[in-house]
Amino acid sequence: MSDAGRHRYVSTDRRVREDRRFVVGKGNFVADIDLPNTRHVALVTCPYPAAAIKSIDKSTAMAMPGVHYVLDGAELAEATLPLMTGLDTPNVPRRPLALDVARYAGEWVAAVVADTRALAEDAAEKVRVTYEKLPFVLDAEQAAEKASVLVHEAHGSNVLLDKTFVWGEVDKDFADSPRHLALRVKWGRSSTVPIETFGVVASWDPWRDILDVWASIQMPRYNDQIGIALKLPVSSVRVHYDVDVGGSYGVKRGIKHTVLVSYLTRRLGFPVRLIEDRLENMRGGDAHGPERLFDVDVAFDDNGIIRSMKMRALENVGAYAGRSPFQLGKPVGAIVGPYKIKSVQYRAVAVLTNKTTQEAVRGFGQSPTNVAIERTIDEVANALGLDPIEVRRRNMIRHEEFPYTIPSGTTYDSGDYHTVIDKVLAHTSYEDLKAERDRLRGEGKLAGIGIAAALEPSGGNAMFEALINPKITTTTFMDSCRIAVDGMGSITATMHTTSSGQGHETLVGTVIGEVLQLDPDLVRVTRPDSLNSLPSGSPVGSRMAIMLGGAAFHAANKLKAKLTAIAAHDLGIALERAIYANGEVYDRNAPQNKRSWADLVQIAHRNYHRMPADMEPGLAVSHVMQVPTGGKLPTADGRVQMYPCTSFEFHLILMTIDPDLGTPEIVKYRIGHDCGTVINPKIVRGMTMGGIAHGIGAALYEEFAYDGEGQLMAQSFMDYLLPSSHEVPAVEIIHHVTPSPNTVLGQKGSGESGYLGAPAAIANAINDALRPLKISINTLPIKLSVLGDMIAQAKENKRP
Amino acid sequence: MKLDIAGEEAFDVPIETLWRALNDPAVLKKCIPGCKDMIDEGGDRFKLLLNLKVTSVGGSFEGAISLSDKMPPAQCKVAVSGEGTLGQGSGSATFALEPQASGTLMRYSGEGEIGGLVAGVGQRILKGVSKYLIGQFFTALRREVTALSPAST
Repeated sequence: MSDAGRHRYVSTDRRVREDRRFVVGKGNFVADIDLPNTRHVALVTCPYPAAAIKSIDKSTAMAMPGVHYVLDGAELAEATLPLMTGLDTPNVPRRPLALDVARYAGEWVAAVVADTRALAEDAAEKVRVTYEKLPFVLDAEQAAEKASVLVHEAHGSNVLLDKTFVWGEVDKDFADSPRHLALRVKWGRSSTVPIETFGVVASWDPWRDILDVWASIQMPRYNDQIGIALKLPVSSVRVHYDVDVGGSYGVKRGIKHTVLVSYLTRRLGFPVRLIEDRLENMRGGDAHGPERLFDVDVAFDDNGIIRSMKMRALENVGAYAGRSPFQLGKPVGAIVGPYKIKSVQYRAVAVLTNKTTQEAVRGFGQSPTNVAIERTIDEVANALGLDPIEVRRRNMIRHEEFPYTIPSGTTYDSGDYHTVIDKVLAHTSYEDLKAERDRLRGEGKLAGIGIAAALEPSGGNAMFEALINPKITTTTFMDSCRIAVDGMGSITATMHTTSSGQGHETLVGTVIGEVLQLDPDLVRVTRPDSLNSLPSGSPVGSRMAIMLGGAAFHAANKLKAKLTAIAAHDLGIALERAIYANGEVYDRNAPQNKRSWADLVQIAHRNYHRMPADMEPGLAVSHVMQVPTGGKLPTADGRVQMYPCTSFEFHLILMTIDPDLGTPEIVKYRIGHDCGTVINPKIVRGMTMGGIAHGIGAALYEEFAYDGEGQLMAQSFMDYLLPSSHEVPAVEIIHHVTPSPNTVLGQKGSGESGYLGAPAAIANAINDALRPLKISINTLPIKLSVLGDMIAQAKENKRP
Repeated sequence: MKLDIAGEEAFDVPIETLWRALNDPAVLKKCIPGCKDMIDEGGDRFKLLLNLKVTSVGGSFEGAISLSDKMPPAQCKVAVSGEGTLGQGSGSATFALEPQASGTLMRYSGEGEIGGLVAGVGQRILKGVSKYLIGQFFTALRREVTALSPAST
């Protein structure tokens, strides 16, 4: 199904308007914010995984020229409230600076303020902290045991969350199924590592009672959280949303950084800035993502039909509750993937350890879950000697079965999974691909085909919060758009969050242009600060095409309705006869009778006597959007409508592994992608390509690895390996469009596309390649060194 | 991260000369790479100020060194700990001296633990760096003991 013809600007290959300024180096990033008298922060960090802070000697540092202040955790804790975690765990407080005890290597213990960052760094070295080393725990399974060392003594346990959901007749379905299979899958601690680290500049104006904040931020309720922590009314916090964010995909949370510099600017009276260096970012910033262990059991029959699944997910959240425990909740909205599994038991366990605190990462826990599901499907096929694509087809929800409600209570909006698979296989013959794999095997190589079918829940409404913590009763996650036509007729639209590269200005312009039938480039899009904004969440949960696009669509329709009403009144005709087209309104019965855009602007702005009675003068409209399908709390048995839309992706890849070195190589990469109506093809393509590259990293290279002493080994890009152009192959994307019935244009989300299936496809390809050696690996990242050793060992064992 | 160190070094001087040198703060100060100062705090404990630079990585450290389990002139245990710009380290090693036909053989072995930036950023080069620093120490020590030795005068 093609969108051509249905839309004028939507789905056409238009330029991404933000790209102009980025390409010429004229973005406005937080490091570009240059206020007079700004002072700079560097951090003193704890070198041990767990230590009591006995004393902090600031005297040498304070005596250095250019040094203004050394702040410790005790002073900050006295003046501010702990950061919001969303959990009901009052004995696990999280603060910007450690108070009495530091709980991971790299945790911030003190902050030094100086004239320059270099001076602040030099002075940070002179802050003398006396520590008493404490016992620590790094492994989640150990930490979950009763006898474990405690990360937070007062909490009485390391378990932050242990919740079991049972949806449907799991025990009966297991008992009734002739075949069972169990699998353990590990997802290593990885993340998104944007090129720009986190940065924030804060400036307090005591004469206006305003705290100005510029930040590289992607955090819902950022201004609320600042106000709460600093005990300020939120109307005293002015967050500037017109700061370009140099990449995020979840990790730019920055609340501890922000509370720290906000306190300092209020305490010291000049603007204060903290821009992390890469080491601060990787050790103690918000850089770490999920580290998860899955135990999956499935019950199925001889035809490969999977009836029931039990999944336990154990998350190593690190030393404090960031967004991590909630990342176990989000996958509940797609817990069975694209399959018709009748019943599910899901146990979500989040455990504290002495590692860096985890934050949100692209997909919010969905990609690890998809690996667990997709590895299991492959093993089911293997156990039965069936083809893995055939097993998927048999279990998948069929097009005519939508809307389809899964056992955990979420209704999937739409999909046509079988057709997407057909299109991919029409593009690349499966038989030819298998023949190529076998030819490569014949040449002595290890070769495997990798398949993954994955869902991207999109339109984020954060219902996992109420699911995980019943004290939270939030059932909306708004986004909004305002449109004003000025007295000379130009159009300005506003959006009310930052963007981290998703092209939201293009989105807003395109949607408004589509509705008003005017060139989108005529629509100016701006970002007012938080004190001039309407309620808006933030660009998380793959939601902005749906939510900001929806808000822009509704606002534009309100404007169109107003213009039409003004014209009908001025033409002296009934409203039904007034037809809006291309910025003009004409009389259906006498099309030559019309009011131009300029006429309508003239009436609205200056000729109140020509306006319909009781209509507001001017042309200003706004819309605050509720999440489609949202608005209901979870049921008592933990069923919830999570996200309104589900995008679909089907990966088909061919990989080889060097039989001597263990080096993996992706030979062919095909992806079928269906995210409903595409608003801007360039943006969706960029998301998908980047998502696949990110997924290749998570599957093969990236890991925040720790040694046995609790020291982070991957503190720089020398050790945290990112895939480069050598490792990322050419990717062919095969498009399909199944519009969503829940959105204004049929669009779904695509901010996580590619990433949600690539790691699963790669893990399946490698296991297919290893199958002739009768070995298997389910620990991601699948490192070259491990792979090489496993292959060598397997060959050794094979020798007579 | 953990770091094992072990090795042996032959010296052309009598065991007593070597023992004396190893217990002389003035000599050690000259031999410990990057040592800016060594302050005697009594009871075989010293405060140590170091300024180390290896390839592009450099920084200042403050530490403590203590000698224990002494069995003159044959054996001694050295414990070192320090922290600074680049992280922290601690370790201990045992030195055993054995008279030879001509001179003395020293055997040493120990274990160190290193954390902070050095551990992460420098993990691959740490073994090489520690070897290099130990080499520097012995080169200097050999020079010092030769100067002390009556045979050389």
